[in-house]
Amino acid sequence: MFKVIGGFIGGVVLVALLAYSYMGSLMFWEVESPFGVEETVARIQQNVQKVGNGWALSGLRNPGKAVESSGGNVLPVMMVEACSTKYSGPILKDDSVRFLSILMPCKISVYKKNDGKTYIGLMNAGLMGKMFGPMVGDIMAEVAEDQKKFILFDPNEPAPPMIKPAPPGAGGSAGASAAGGC
Amino acid sequence: MTVERIYVFKRFERFWHWSQAMLIIFMLITGFEVHGSYHLLGFASAVELHTIAAWTLVSLWVFAIFWHFTTGEWMQYIPTTEKVVAMIKFYSVGIFQGAPHPFRATTLKKHNPLQRLAYLGVLLFIGPLIWFTGWFYLFYGSWREWGVESLLSLEWVAFFHTAAAFMMLAFLIAHVYLTTTGHTPTSHIKAMITGWEEVD
Amino acid sequence: MTPTSRTIKASLGVAAMLVAFNASALQAKPDAAATQAVNGGKNAHASTADHSKFKELQKNFKTGPEVTEACLLCHTEAAKQVQHTKHWTWQSLDPKTGQLRGKKNIINNYCTSVVSNEKDCMACHAGYGWKDQSFDFSVEKNVDCLICHDSTGTYRKLPGYAGHPVYKRVEFPHGSGRFVEAVDLKKVAQSIAMPSRSNCGSCHFFGGGANGAKHGDMDSSLQHPGKYLDVHMNEQGLNFSCTTCHATSSHQVSGSRYNVAAAVTGKAAIRGNVDSTPSSCQSCHGNKPHSEKMSRLNQHTDKIACQTCHIPEYARNDIGTELSWDWSKATIMDENGKRIVRKDSAGRRAFDSQKGEWKWESHVIPEYRWFNGESTYKVIGDKIDPTQTVPLSVVGGSPDDPGSRIWPTKVHRGKQPYDTVNLTLTVQHTGGEDDTALWHNYDWQKAIGTGMKAAGLPYSGQYDFVDTELTWPITHMVAPKEDALTCVQCHSKNGRLKGVPGIYMPSRDGNQWLDMIGWTVALLTLLGVLAHGAIRILTSKKEG
Repeated sequence: MFKVIGGFIGGVVLVALLAYSYMGSLMFWEVESPFGVEETVARIQQNVQKVGNGWALSGLRNPGKAVESSGGNVLPVMMVEACSTKYSGPILKDDSVRFLSILMPCKISVYKKNDGKTYIGLMNAGLMGKMFGPMVGDIMAEVAEDQKKFILFDPNEPAPPMIKPAPPGAGGSAGASAAGGC
Repeated sequence: MTVERIYVFKRFERFWHWSQAMLIIFMLITGFEVHGSYHLLGFASAVELHTIAAWTLVSLWVFAIFWHFTTGEWMQYIPTTEKVVAMIKFYSVGIFQGAPHPFRATTLKKHNPLQRLAYLGVLLFIGPLIWFTGWFYLFYGSWREWGVESLLSLEWVAFFHTAAAFMMLAFLIAHVYLTTTGHTPTSHIKAMITGWEEVD
Repeated sequence: MTPTSRTIKASLGVAAMLVAFNASALQAKPDAAATQAVNGGKNAHASTADHSKFKELQKNFKTGPEVTEACLLCHTEAAKQVQHTKHWTWQSLDPKTGQLRGKKNIINNYCTSVVSNEKDCMACHAGYGWKDQSFDFSVEKNVDCLICHDSTGTYRKLPGYAGHPVYKRVEFPHGSGRFVEAVDLKKVAQSIAMPSRSNCGSCHFFGGGANGAKHGDMDSSLQHPGKYLDVHMNEQGLNFSCTTCHATSSHQVSGSRYNVAAAVTGKAAIRGNVDSTPSSCQSCHGNKPHSEKMSRLNQHTDKIACQTCHIPEYARNDIGTELSWDWSKATIMDENGKRIVRKDSAGRRAFDSQKGEWKWESHVIPEYRWFNGESTYKVIGDKIDPTQTVPLSVVGGSPDDPGSRIWPTKVHRGKQPYDTVNLTLTVQHTGGEDDTALWHNYDWQKAIGTGMKAAGLPYSGQYDFVDTELTWPITHMVAPKEDALTCVQCHSKNGRLKGVPGIYMPSRDGNQWLDMIGWTVALLTLLGVLAHGAIRILTSKKEG
């Protein structure tokens, strides 16, 4: 009897440990890019604008700049922010899942690693969406499909220019030091 | 069969055994990380901890060597071939048939002949090899000062240090298992904790 | 194409090349605070002479040489001193081999060679009038004092004038609608000061025709750098000028790429002792600079240069640096026969029909090489082996040499023309408005013909393109110590020093066979004892 209970508890513990160690890698994707950081960012930006479904660029952030201003160095990392009201609308209208606004706008990060290569980091929108009910699940599944298109690159196209965000206007003076990056 | 209880492991010896065991396990874990076999604590931490543990172990060994000589316990490790063949036969066949243990421990001869050989191998071969290659490894920056730079190569020092580490690992696995071959599976382990061994 | 439109095209070409060359160079506003900063920051001591008070400098100078003559009235030895240096001769003798190197003689894979292109290239000469081989190096008034000693930030030398500054308001770049005002030589002469980063940088930041193209660790971001970019030149902190490290005496600037102090040993230099390597890290920091807590790192200085750990990446800014220049793509025009100019995603030059194709990158991870301070260079006329990548500049050194250390380097790769019969790299006439200038007529044969003639080399008439490589050490843009490389970045299988031969590094190296045998033995032992134990359990059950 004790052996059965013991085995059962052992099994639960094992599964929990496995889940804990694999959870991280399931929530995010990391894909290598054949281009440099700036060119990858620029191509993603072009794709976002071309894919339709209401997608538009809402920003480009460089968290590394804030680190630089306090005297430190990081390997380049840039975050492309994109938004589509077709997807965000229903989520923002529903009280029970409005907290998911914390994950908005959709971000794709592009960074260089110590091997010199450029990588693209994405959230596994499809999998995450499933955790919050059918409405969010369906929407995020579509977002995931669009996300895949953001990172499809045609090497025959020449490198497009990066679209830098316009400098902050009247309301931007508040976060002066952060304005350079975040 | 009468079962006698004899006092085989003194306090210091037990302390020495268990702290040495902890340190060796710790050094294997940190050492193989320094070697690059896996990533656990981070290379810098692994090096630092391995070095601290190394010095601790060396001081422990110094005390242990001193103790072994002053108490005469070193005689427990004098190798003998008497009954070695019988021991091997026991472990490979007899133990499965419930045969009686060919060796009876006494306070003056507490290790069976195979144990003596194995432990002597650790004390006189694996231990010193790993210790001295480890020292040369640690003090690589002083080789030029000591005038040995042209005689040694870090590649070979590291090779023998790693080889000794693998031997230590194999010994550890075999040793842990073989402690279960006593009167009962846990009798030897109990003996190393309490000091008292049951012999028949 | 009409002659006029061709001229405009050529001028646009020259102009475009040099937009970046000079565009941001000397923008410092000439106010008191800037002059203070330009003079070396909070530690600047006031000069004993206010040059605006001297009557010799109250003239309305018409030309650069006129100014120099005035300087020489008091600074009688200055011109002679300069004339003994590389900044004047553009030549350097390798004492070991007797080879004459220096900008005058080498071939690189950026703009390739100054020969036949002097009118443009000499905008960076510390002199006036070097337009061809006939330049008289002994004339003292042709020494340019102002390029190094101006502190107004308004002294500019444009390409096309053989080293003379702008005397007359001129449209530059040609056809852009933007103008460069004539330099007020009187004001500049009266603003004389010790050189600042902007003075040295006006040439050393813009080599290769674009900001940051050449060195990677030197570009205009060093005019006003933050601490993250370079801890020594940090404007809000130490604010070192170039000469703080590159100590200069009698106009001899110490610390040359032709003769690097790659492996200095011993303590920091003290006054009274001759410091033969003032521009090395060790000159101030000594060879064992790490604290007790990090004393193991002091053991690394026997094999690793300071720069390797303390310059984790170079070109750590948006300017970036150029990593390759493919000249073979030059003269490719668009479908209308017009010049193509393209920028990359970060706004840097990517393609130009005049020059070819480039690749740029920021935050570049260096390539690591053993270096003993001596590099070998290819000079004009050297023979090459076109079946291999031609090493135009190679850092010497080896793991067994106690005078070698592992250094970070920038490797610039390229394709450039060579004479397929004589097996020499070609010298080509690129800039200018004459018929044979490459950027005017897009004709390689004519350009090479003129260049080779000027260089005094035979040309067979056959050319093709060959791969080349140029390796230079990295030493500027020192990062704060918190950003130095961590142990694991090198001590790992695919770390920074992957491929660097000749040393054993734990975690990177090991004996494959030993590992295989060792783990196999351990595994077999484990399986053996498990099997033994299992059989014991089974057999005891049978009996019990």
